[in-house]
Amino acid sequence: MIDADVHQESITIEQLLPWIEPGIRNYISNSNFTMPGYLFPNPDHLVRQDAIADAGVPGSDYELFKEQYLDALDVDYAIVNGGSILLASCLPNTQVVAGISVGYNRWLTEEWLPRDTRLRGALMVPSQQPEIAAQIIRDFGDKPGIVQVTLTFGSTSGYGQPHYHPIFEAAVEMNLRVALHQGAEGSGINAPPATGYPRYFVEYHALAPIAAMAHTTSLICHGVFEKYPELGVVISEGGILWLPGMLWRLDADWKGLRVEVPWVKRAPSEILFEQMRFTTHPLEQPSGDGDLAQMLEAIGGLENVLMFATGYPRWDSDSPSSVLERVPEAWHDAVMEGNARSFYDLPPSSAGNGANGAG
Amino acid sequence: MSAAHESVSLALAELPPGSATTVEAFGTTVAVFNTGSELYAIDNTCPHQQGPLCKGRVGGTLLPSKPYAYEYGLDGRVVTCPWHKWQFDLADGTAIFDPSVRVPTYDARVDVDAGQIVISPTPSGTAS
Repeated sequence: MIDADVHQESITIEQLLPWIEPGIRNYISNSNFTMPGYLFPNPDHLVRQDAIADAGVPGSDYELFKEQYLDALDVDYAIVNGGSILLASCLPNTQVVAGISVGYNRWLTEEWLPRDTRLRGALMVPSQQPEIAAQIIRDFGDKPGIVQVTLTFGSTSGYGQPHYHPIFEAAVEMNLRVALHQGAEGSGINAPPATGYPRYFVEYHALAPIAAMAHTTSLICHGVFEKYPELGVVISEGGILWLPGMLWRLDADWKGLRVEVPWVKRAPSEILFEQMRFTTHPLEQPSGDGDLAQMLEAIGGLENVLMFATGYPRWDSDSPSSVLERVPEAWHDAVMEGNARSFYDLPPSSAGNGANGAG
Repeated sequence: MSAAHESVSLALAELPPGSATTVEAFGTTVAVFNTGSELYAIDNTCPHQQGPLCKGRVGGTLLPSKPYAYEYGLDGRVVTCPWHKWQFDLADGTAIFDPSVRVPTYDARVDVDAGQIVISPTPSGTAS
């Protein structure tokens, strides 16, 4: 099983300080800097409460991560996407965010990934300043175990807008995938969620697909996939059942309106099925057994773009068996492993864990 | 009405430059366009939702391009369905968004001596 979206929640800004360059470290320590909190806090903790290690034991988080997750679920590969540290994407001071990003990427590549051959990492970048983000991608993109750059759904605009293109260009150059992951919508300098700020976490969480739809449409309509044919983008935690409705609508509109975006040379759905992937977590939970599998089967091509993810250790994480129950049986191999293996170009699974020497 | 493969004619005077009309021929309704420089005859019925192509604007289109480039082309060769804006190349009936979607086309030419426009099935039989 390959898990396309898992979070190592262990790192705080305080723990990260030794990895951050002195100038920015000094700023963070001496200013009244605080990391942005969640604009929509989960009313009963964001993280599984049994996934928190005993306090004050540095490194114990990995042991718990290994025992409770990697070993227990028999994971072949886990794509680790970072955690609340990614909220820094909403801060106005891009230099500080760049410093935090570099610090996080150093910690990730020097401290975390080398612990286990099953781990694959995603770089953190200051999406607020794409040229610097691109430089960081070039600096860290060839470190062992790095397969991806992760951006939050929260952003100042749709990721198709041209000022973001340097990020995609650098990712392609370094042979990395780009993940757009739910989070930070409406925080800090980021654009508010659609129709303005909801009041409750339950609203925000249920409406995550709106941001997924907006970024997907933006990338396609701006011709990002036309400009970077080697680019692969995965949407994480944005749901999947919106795909048929949105794609049918976008395809239909494009047939009459393509003169506005003539660089969109093929039906949007065709582009999406080639260059985009979607992680399952949190997979829609139908009211009736078999309903979801039936709906998924009705959408041609989805079997090639879905990648299993647990979302561990989040409160809404999915177990492999619960996803298998909901996904058509003929798709199981592709969704649980094949699609991710090919998307991330992962070698045959390593036997057991050990020091992570190669990417 | 003509038989399925018989040519039909209309008076040249009935189709001045920049106009379009329809004739019943080949078991269907054919839209005939005089763009001023060319005559075109295509099936009148848009394959999308059966909009009347004879009422469509004739002009050019934005050619498939690099991102953010607007390159106008095919001027005078593209009809836009008046209903949902599907565009077709009048020369071969293919939809601009996908050449595998097409409307049948026919041969339209002027018989100068007779002052007629003669519409006949094309040799390639694209009316299939």
